[in-house]
Amino acid sequence: MSLLELDQVTKRYGAETLALDSITFSVQPGEFVAIIGPSGAGKSTLLRSINRLIDITSGDIRFDGVSVPQLRGQALRHHRTQIGMIFQHYNLVNRLSVIENVLHGRLGYKNTLQGMLGLYSEQEKREAVRILETLGLSEQMYKRCDQLSGGQKQRVGIARALVQQPKMLLCDEPIASLDPSSAKVIMDTLQEINRSTGITVLVNLHQVDVALHYAERIIGVNRGRVIYDGPPHALSNAQIYQIYGSEAGELILDLKERYAA
Amino acid sequence: METTLPSGRIRVRPRSHANTVLQATLIVLALLTVYGLITIDTRNINVVTAFGDMLNNFRVVLFEARLKNLSWLDLFRELMITVALGLLTTVFGAIIAFFLALLAAQNLAPRRVNDAVKVVMAFIRAVPTVLWVLFFAVTAGLGSVAAVIGMTFHSVGYLVKAYAETFEELDAGVLEALRASGGNWWQTVFQAVVPSSASALLSWTFVRFEINFSVAIAMGATAGAGGIGFDMFMASAFYLDLRELGIFTYAVLIFAILLEWGATRLKETVGVKRQA
Repeated sequence: MSLLELDQVTKRYGAETLALDSITFSVQPGEFVAIIGPSGAGKSTLLRSINRLIDITSGDIRFDGVSVPQLRGQALRHHRTQIGMIFQHYNLVNRLSVIENVLHGRLGYKNTLQGMLGLYSEQEKREAVRILETLGLSEQMYKRCDQLSGGQKQRVGIARALVQQPKMLLCDEPIASLDPSSAKVIMDTLQEINRSTGITVLVNLHQVDVALHYAERIIGVNRGRVIYDGPPHALSNAQIYQIYGSEAGELILDLKERYAA
Repeated sequence: METTLPSGRIRVRPRSHANTVLQATLIVLALLTVYGLITIDTRNINVVTAFGDMLNNFRVVLFEARLKNLSWLDLFRELMITVALGLLTTVFGAIIAFFLALLAAQNLAPRRVNDAVKVVMAFIRAVPTVLWVLFFAVTAGLGSVAAVIGMTFHSVGYLVKAYAETFEELDAGVLEALRASGGNWWQTVFQAVVPSSASALLSWTFVRFEINFSVAIAMGATAGAGGIGFDMFMASAFYLDLRELGIFTYAVLIFAILLEWGATRLKETVGVKRQA
């Protein structure tokens, strides 16, 4: 059974703008999927419709057998706990410590008062520390987040998502603000998580070469429509041009190099 | 060689409507001042003597200050009454304003709620504190109760605006991240909004405390709320004792400096507390 199924998902902003246009695809448990496309193609909207940070206009999204657009209140919170999210700008509370930020991943499991006061169980704290250790952040545990480097912040973001014990990770441009070496660490980490724990990863990427290198499957999006859906090796130059539309001639990447290598 | 020098005098300032209006206003003001000075009713007071007396009064207030009707302990108690009035209204105001500001911040509540709260607060701010105190004196009677309610009212109006603007500066992504992990509204407020804006909230609250302290002095006299303001009123208008007034002035001054110093220190501690 598919973990995630999108069926004719459409999102309209106002009367004119069509952000998502009848998007249909499904994702199997354990897949590593990269979504590529130009800026404004609807990649972020697509990810945010899956955990309902954005309400879709029509169509259906089923996650683990549950229809997402109908969820309300407690059921919606429960749905969100099963999906971890990682952001381009990390979105950490800078004035709090690393461990406090990681534990924010547990908020969906807490009642209102426990969450407000930050009362986490010893088991949850132990799990957070363990995840920080595996990500190589145990020394930074009590540091304030604004003292970390970009790469470290993104790893805290990953830790916050993992402490949710999610079935799936949504990564919105996770390496767009990072230098190449930190970007590699982050992508390697995501791949390692996907392989060792079997957590499904859905990642939005600007960098086509990175997507081709890491993903098992590529979904190409342009103007809210799926242009390509298949394995990276079957993606042709022509199809990449089609995904990126008129910018095609400006693309830095040339696939010939890939085949030559 | 022919030059294009204009004949006659050269104007440096262009003749414009704004300049004409400005000049006319200044001339009218100057004429009014002259008229006022000529027709002033001096009641046969010699201006030079009066000016000398004024300086002498200042000298008495500042250099011959001493207590007469009150003991030092009384002075301290009266000062603390004024401080308490300022502190109480600030604390009440801060607590109420915090919750209202959550509703007034555009990133935390729906637009309609924002607008409703902001309009009411703007109205409260537009009316001076003294008027609110006198307004509540109708129901509570002139005294400390009316002063507390009236000053709290105005503090709320002021702090809601300050707090809400602080909240609105918050990074929207952080709120999104906590919602994405299943956090609800209250959890987001206390885990992201409060920690991120704590030092700014504290600093606004202290600014308001300073304002409330000085308002409390005035309220002591005008609203009969007691405290050092009332003693100043009695010393100056009733006993005509400038020397005692001097002590009160010094007491207020010293406390205001202490307050400023304490606020700076507290802000420093909160700012670095979590650095560790």
